[in-house]
Amino acid sequence: MKALLVVLFSFVITSSFSQHCSITIKGHLYDTATEEPLEFANLLLEENLQGAASDIDGHFELENVCPGDYHLRVSHIGCETQTFFFQIKNDTNLHIHLNHSSELLDEVLVHGHEEDHSSAVSATIDEQQISKSANENLADLLSSIAGVATLSNGAGISKPIVHGLFGNRITILNNEVEQAGQQWGNDHAPEIDPFVANHLSVVKGAAALEYGGSNLGSIILVEPGNISDDPHLHGQLNYIYNSNGRGSNFNTQFEQKLAAFSWKLTTTFKNQGDSKSSSYFLRNTGRREANVALQLEKHWSSSWATNFYYSYFSTTIGILRGSHIGNTTDLSLALEKEVPFFTEEKFSREIDAPKQEVAHHLAKFEAKYLISENKALKLIFASQLNDRKEFDIRRGGRSETPALSLSQWAHSFDAKYSQESANNLLLKGGLQLRLKDNTNVPGTGFNPLIPDFRKSSIAAYAITQKDLENVLLELGARIEQQSLLAFPITNTVPKEVLREERNFTNYSLSAGLKYSVNEALSINLNTGLAQRSPEVNELYSNGLHQGVSGIERGNANLQPELSLKSIISIDYKWKNKALLNILAYYQNVDDFIYLEPQREFELTIRGAFPLFLYRQTKARIYGLDANFHFEPTKHLRMNLKYAYIKGIDVTNDQGLLNIPGNNANFEINYFSDLQGKFIRNFQLGAEVQHQNQQKDISVDQDFALPPEAYTLLNFKTAFDIHIGKDELKCAITLKNALNLKYRDYLNRLRYFADDLGRNIVFRVNYKF
Amino acid sequence: MVVALFSSCKKDEPEPDNEEELITTLIYTLTPENGGTSVVFTFRDLDGDGGEVPVIVNGVLAANTTYDTEIQLLNEAETPTEVITTEVKEEGDEHQLFYSQTVDLDMSFAYVDVDDNGDPIGIVTKLETGVASSGMYKITLRHEPNKSATGVSSGDITNAGGSTDIEVTFDVIIQ
Repeated sequence: MKALLVVLFSFVITSSFSQHCSITIKGHLYDTATEEPLEFANLLLEENLQGAASDIDGHFELENVCPGDYHLRVSHIGCETQTFFFQIKNDTNLHIHLNHSSELLDEVLVHGHEEDHSSAVSATIDEQQISKSANENLADLLSSIAGVATLSNGAGISKPIVHGLFGNRITILNNEVEQAGQQWGNDHAPEIDPFVANHLSVVKGAAALEYGGSNLGSIILVEPGNISDDPHLHGQLNYIYNSNGRGSNFNTQFEQKLAAFSWKLTTTFKNQGDSKSSSYFLRNTGRREANVALQLEKHWSSSWATNFYYSYFSTTIGILRGSHIGNTTDLSLALEKEVPFFTEEKFSREIDAPKQEVAHHLAKFEAKYLISENKALKLIFASQLNDRKEFDIRRGGRSETPALSLSQWAHSFDAKYSQESANNLLLKGGLQLRLKDNTNVPGTGFNPLIPDFRKSSIAAYAITQKDLENVLLELGARIEQQSLLAFPITNTVPKEVLREERNFTNYSLSAGLKYSVNEALSINLNTGLAQRSPEVNELYSNGLHQGVSGIERGNANLQPELSLKSIISIDYKWKNKALLNILAYYQNVDDFIYLEPQREFELTIRGAFPLFLYRQTKARIYGLDANFHFEPTKHLRMNLKYAYIKGIDVTNDQGLLNIPGNNANFEINYFSDLQGKFIRNFQLGAEVQHQNQQKDISVDQDFALPPEAYTLLNFKTAFDIHIGKDELKCAITLKNALNLKYRDYLNRLRYFADDLGRNIVFRVNYKF
Repeated sequence: MVVALFSSCKKDEPEPDNEEELITTLIYTLTPENGGTSVVFTFRDLDGDGGEVPVIVNGVLAANTTYDTEIQLLNEAETPTEVITTEVKEEGDEHQLFYSQTVDLDMSFAYVDVDDNGDPIGIVTKLETGVASSGMYKITLRHEPNKSATGVSSGDITNAGGSTDIEVTFDVIIQ
């Protein structure tokens, strides 16, 4: 239900003196995108249950209203119902803008803030869609965007892949703070609760200058919404049940604007048992999650405001019991096995080793100061603490002792300045300081896979934008100085602690152009040069990577990667009926860091293991994302998405690993006019998801060839139940309706088990 | 102030962890039932996974002889040396050793020791050699195998599952 809407609401009040209880509220409703009036919308004053409907011109009138504080609820077919607070003293004239469909809107409007106005191309998932499927991980939610895929380790752990890159190569900004933690691991998911986000965006960029991090272009933005201006306590309750895994997900959100400050509190609990493939339970794949987020905002004056944000995320995730392997013999046995070892007949909620326990704290303080009307300064200070424990099946009752235990502090400081000149010239500049301190908590009984390290960096950037009538030009540069101190431990007898220091200087440049040919057609061009210095796992990892049954060895001599990426994006909007977006990208990466399987095997007491070394090569990734949205009538919405991608290791003339196969998705939704006493806004939809086989990987590159293509069929329905003046929003989604047996290339568990079978997701939402 | 805070942290050198679970050494001792000199096979990899290559010592068995065999697992990286076999014995129901050979080798083995459920562990076995021959002999230690699966208690590893803690192959000559 992608189309439903984020909101933009603006109203202008003009009033004239009026007498007691004889106030008239008049107004007009408009579609933000088209400025066309919205007819047949329902309006309701919650305080006195006085209602009205808008006429063909979008006009409405509420008469004989007493002075006071009111909540006006506006609902319209295909729109999310919105409630607005205002104080009525006199006759009032309202101009209300509602966003009717996100597909047909500019991204800038969806983001809701001007500063995002740039030549970059982004795609967004709105709050309604998030709250319907927030039982899923962040990455799974994002994968509904063309060009975004997920790299997963079963249903519990997944991380986003954008244009073929993931992990260290993309940056996730959680509330403007670069997500720290152990993002290098393919089986380490970002520690973010999607319920906290008001919207999620993927910036399909060429070079991201404004944000730190080691990314080569693309960025994921997780943005909590603003706290409402309403002085009363409001909020929402969400409950999502998913039949596969028998999972329950509770979420509460409360917010209020007090005289002194505004606050918002979000809490989420998730509890899920073993998932099921099309025919058997996936033992030990349950998960638990408990998250809390607190937002505080204070406007000191019209020119300066501060806000504080704290979030805590904690999870315990079981990893398929049958995927625990001791050596390559175990792996080849598992590969041959139709049903994984340790599969049980019965459903269970128990989570044993192998499992992960992760806790992540994020605290952020931000101050915004409007120096003058066109000059603004923003300071952000943030700290994160990430604790990750991974448990393996061990001898001697040690399974409850983590085999990997990492504790990481990350601090960041950002100063951002922007200035707009009279001649439509925008200047942005900033300074970024970063410090990361990573420690292996002693007592695991293993030599650490990645060493203790401290990494600091300082970066400065400048971007200039020139707005010429139909053309927006953008130019930017960034320089970053990084220094790394690491303490790798050798596996000699006796062990030695080494002291390694590396310094890197990275440069980035970007240029962009947005050309609005006419009302209907716009073209974006972006090109960017970016450098990414090797991360600590690439430099110094040493040892057996249990999950992949191979010995990985870092390479202390790695040089920074150098990427050159270009993007062209064309948007064509046909009246208010259709939208076509086609984006093509081409990226060359020199000194692309990858794990190369070696010919020789390393003999250990557990048998011979393949050896993987970090090497550098020349890589090329190119592809196309296409999105076509069509609304033939106001009752029908269709959406077709397609993503084509190719990743090549140019030097070795082979495919790059973990590049998704091409995929297509078609969705059709019917919106009923039904505005009954109890049931309203009834919708019905169907979706077909097709995933092609990845055919660029050869047998000597992986333990098993990528699985075959598959097509999934999903159905969904949504409706609102009205009980008195309360509204319950319900949605039921049937995923993998045919209970298809399939495996996905980007799920590591494909070596061991089938992917998820049928799943019915039931969601109910109550706003107050 | 912020800059000061960022540069003031000092990073301490870590202490290497004790790898107490590590198995560095497997000693396979065969003593002729009717007396005589024991034959000893060893696999020793003191630095664990990676690093230096393991040292393997193979042995020669006599034809038509019955041997009492015993496996000893050690962690020689610890001081004093830790005897891992004790741990395996204690958790006998969670462990099983498997022995397999190439077809050219004329010998057969039988489990001697059992766990609390009466299922074999395989630290102690009897090995009977046949005529002079040579081939490879593989010793596998599985953690959490399914001992009730078909063939497992008679020494067939096919359906055992679990994860491999040891997989060592020796060259055996019977003469």
